Amino acid sequence: MSSVLKAQKANATSKTDNKGKRKADEMDVDDADAPQLKKKKNKQRVLLLSSRGITHRMRHFMNDLEVLLPHVKKDSKLDSKSQLHLLPELADLNNCNNTLYFEARRHEDLYLWAAKTPNGPSIKMHVQNVHTMDELKMTGNCLKGSRGLLSFDKAFDDTEWGKLTKELFTHIFGVPATARKAKPFIDHILTFSILDSKIWFRNFQILEKDPVQPNGPPQTTLVEIGPRFVLTPIRIFEGAFGGATVFSNPEFVSPSAVRSAIRKEKGGKYGQRKDAEQESSRRKELRKRDEDELAVSKVFA
Amino acid sequence: MEKPIAGPSKTKPKNSEVISVPAVGFDDEEADEASESDDDSDDDGVDEMGMERLMNALGDDGLDEYEQMQLHLALGGEADEDDDEDTSDEEFTLKSGAKGSDPESSDSNDAEDDGDFDDEEDDREEDDEEGQDVALEDVESIDDDAVPKQKTEIDNTVALARIRETIQLDPSLSWTETLVLTYPDAIEVDVEDDLNRELAFYKQALHGATTARTLAAKHHLPFTRPADYFAEMVKSDAHMERIRQRLLDETAGIKKSEDKRKEREGKKFGKQVQIEKLKEREKGKKEMEERLRGLKRKRGDMLDKPNGGDDDFDIAVEDAISDRPAKRGRGAGPGGRGRGAGKVSRDARNQKFGFGGAGKRSKSNTRESTDDFGGGKRGGGFGGRGGRGGRGGRGGGRGGFGGRGGGSKRPGKDKRVAAKSRR
Repeated sequence: MSSVLKAQKANATSKTDNKGKRKADEMDVDDADAPQLKKKKNKQRVLLLSSRGITHRMRHFMNDLEVLLPHVKKDSKLDSKSQLHLLPELADLNNCNNTLYFEARRHEDLYLWAAKTPNGPSIKMHVQNVHTMDELKMTGNCLKGSRGLLSFDKAFDDTEWGKLTKELFTHIFGVPATARKAKPFIDHILTFSILDSKIWFRNFQILEKDPVQPNGPPQTTLVEIGPRFVLTPIRIFEGAFGGATVFSNPEFVSPSAVRSAIRKEKGGKYGQRKDAEQESSRRKELRKRDEDELAVSKVFA
Repeated sequence: MEKPIAGPSKTKPKNSEVISVPAVGFDDEEADEASESDDDSDDDGVDEMGMERLMNALGDDGLDEYEQMQLHLALGGEADEDDDEDTSDEEFTLKSGAKGSDPESSDSNDAEDDGDFDDEEDDREEDDEEGQDVALEDVESIDDDAVPKQKTEIDNTVALARIRETIQLDPSLSWTETLVLTYPDAIEVDVEDDLNRELAFYKQALHGATTARTLAAKHHLPFTRPADYFAEMVKSDAHMERIRQRLLDETAGIKKSEDKRKEREGKKFGKQVQIEKLKEREKGKKEMEERLRGLKRKRGDMLDKPNGGDDDFDIAVEDAISDRPAKRGRGAGPGGRGRGAGKVSRDARNQKFGFGGAGKRSKSNTRESTDDFGGGKRGGGFGGRGGRGGRGGRGGGRGGFGGRGGGSKRPGKDKRVAAKSRR
């Protein structure tokens, strides 16, 4: 679709005669020449969708991301969680080359898939500590559609999976200059930091106050806009939503395992108490002494 | 292939009898199995099943405890092994070996058999030492020292690098296409420490913003949004209003609680102050009461000169009320001031300021003034100037007014009551 529009624009600006046949020829020629003449541009479009069973918090979170990234196309919910192979096809339909898929499990856990769709790698991550933009403590605001700066921690460059993740996030969260709804000024900055083998995300608005001295640089302050969340990478797959695993995070504990461990601990209390009771009664038996010779029953038979 | 067993008298005959019987039976079976066993290298030795059958056949008259122990030792003590069938020869040889009946044959047999057994034992032990990984479900008995293996972690760095190179953006793209920055410092903060963690993130963002400003200037990318650029924002105005309201409420709440706290503190302190103030006030009141009472007693006849005496009384009352009664010469001071400061009667004021302010600038030697003798202001002024101690002056003033008739009288009941209530 975008290529057709480009062609139309090229047509409109072309100065040759408007004969039908020639128009078609020029269209082809223009298309072929355009990428060679112009500089290479970063073209990314992201498909944003969720699975069924999503809660209100997750939904607001998704909407926040849609608002922040103007090169995103939001789609309707995906019906089945087991047929992830449909996602690359959906992305192709919508002319997107990246996907952000929110998988909600059990109405409690949120997993985020970030993938490059034709056949690129995909990362599955577990999302925690989501604070949406609606929260009143986040007081910043920015232009809708302004391109945001991306700041990555040094730790991303220390590991191979970190480098791949950095590349993928650059494609997904970095707004290309050619995005239709992009606005000119730089308003906000998205930061990704690795701490405790998790990826922490923050979004700040860049405020400039007039400098104290007229010649000095303006004072930059940051106010948080939101949202903020923590991602735990689980696995990196070679293909889009499938394929061989090229990285698995050993420190990931699935939330259901965490919950069951907590429940076992709670349940174990009864068992432990009963065991302790048995033990004490057994020890009591051991401590029992034989009847003394001078006991009443022996003396007064 | 039976060897006649001649041994010590006691047990042997029984055994020899018994042994002969099953031997016949076994021969046929185990001749077949012998061929099989030849193929197996492992199982040269004793056949457990065969031994069991023998033992059963022997019944209670079978081996003693001692003999059983010897048998077990000879077999190497492995109870769990499943050996294949073995030749009967070797069984019997085993038997003879165990009992040590035939010195000649048994010795040689012993040597052989023991050698065989040793080999077997070694074989079995090797099998065990080969260290098989047993899956957790299959383990019968869990050894407390056994270390559970973790699930396999995959970190295929080669594949990761290859994939990254495949999807990488063209390095020749300028910075303005991606706006990616790297923070050069590593973040090393305790995860649980919220304040420092957020501070670290803030620092990262600040560093990013400042470097981006310089880079944007270099690439001629507009950075700062001008104040008059209005466009749709990410958060709606209504939302921002709610945020602002919340901030205001917060500050107001803090201020209110601060004030209340100060008040509470002040109250504790101020209670004492209040008590003292009350006491003082009461004391002041009492003093005033006394002074007034004294005054009243002294000025019992004030009814005689209602107007002129007013000033006197007023001044006296003023003195009583005030803490510092004025000095004697007060009335003589700036004349108008003494009267104007406190209780100056209505009539006096009217005369002074009324009708365009007659006062002292008016004519004094007029037709009317020749007629009245000592009347008008003169009398009042004289009386006023007399001050407190001026009884004589007052007496004159009283005389000037034409007197009331008679000397000073105690005012009537009504007047007294009115005066009392007025005070």
